[in-house]
Amino acid sequence: MATIPIILNGERSEIPSGSSAADIPLLAGVGNQPVAIVVNGVVVHPLDRSSLILSEHDEVEVLVFAGGG
Amino acid sequence: MDSLQLGSYTFSSRLILGTGKFSSTKAMVEAIKASGTQLVTVALRRFNRDRMEDDLFGPLSEIGGITLMPNTSGAATAIEAVRAAHISRDLSGSPFVKVEIHPNPHHLMPDPIETWEACRILVRDGFIVMPYIPADPVLARRLEDIGCASVMPLGSAIGSGQGLSTAEMVRIIIRDSAIPVIVDAGLRSPSEACASMEMGCSAVLVNSAVAVAGDPAAMASAFARAVEAGLQARRAGLMPRSGMAVATSPLTSFLGRSS
Repeated sequence: MATIPIILNGERSEIPSGSSAADIPLLAGVGNQPVAIVVNGVVVHPLDRSSLILSEHDEVEVLVFAGGG
Repeated sequence: MDSLQLGSYTFSSRLILGTGKFSSTKAMVEAIKASGTQLVTVALRRFNRDRMEDDLFGPLSEIGGITLMPNTSGAATAIEAVRAAHISRDLSGSPFVKVEIHPNPHHLMPDPIETWEACRILVRDGFIVMPYIPADPVLARRLEDIGCASVMPLGSAIGSGQGLSTAEMVRIIIRDSAIPVIVDAGLRSPSEACASMEMGCSAVLVNSAVAVAGDPAAMASAFARAVEAGLQARRAGLMPRSGMAVATSPLTSFLGRSS
């Protein structure tokens, strides 16, 4: 399977070529919980994720809510 | 007791609880339930598969009757805070944002200039904006003028447990504000929360004092009752202070005296 390199939460990662933003939660090891996905600094809304095909060296962040005051 | 109005939201509880520093998710959930809080803060962070317990969305979603107020902690500038707020709103569905911009990790004092700018943008973008601020009456007024739903002056440094060291400035903010004033940060004991409410605060926000207590749920309950007691006392009307003693028993006609 061909892969491409991306930066996932600050670390280099290889993902299958043709992956979309909708594939990121699974690739990142997220369960069923909601997450925010940011690609190259832009928030990708859930409805838009499957249409955003990731490219080499994209910077992807997967964000959740942690404890905070 | 009447309710706390923040934007279009109405809350019967006047205790806002933070979710940081708890020893476990279970302890946090128990504390939230014991507190009766209806508004809890959370922080946006990168997902870490090695620390799945950090993800609080699931556990918090299972607690009925609470609204999330994501903070912008970690932001050092207005631009970063605005970005975090928008991501958090997409994730939480909540219009609340606690604007928290502190560029210096040693004292964690909020940056008033970046805070004001972030609030200006976020009010425009339709958020219910709750800025964490130094206890500065001028800044508080400026934030009210641009449409913030409340101002949240610090009692003392975040997590310091130094209590309500800014009391006199907070009094001035309360006197000059038409929006709710909420003491946020530094409170250590329920008595300080009670005192905050007695002086006129609309609510208090507590995190460390509950999270690091030996029994967080019990401490959360104690804070909830202290907040209610403080509000009730203020409504009941506190007696005036006197520089002199004022007798509560008759000082005349004692046993055989002539006067």
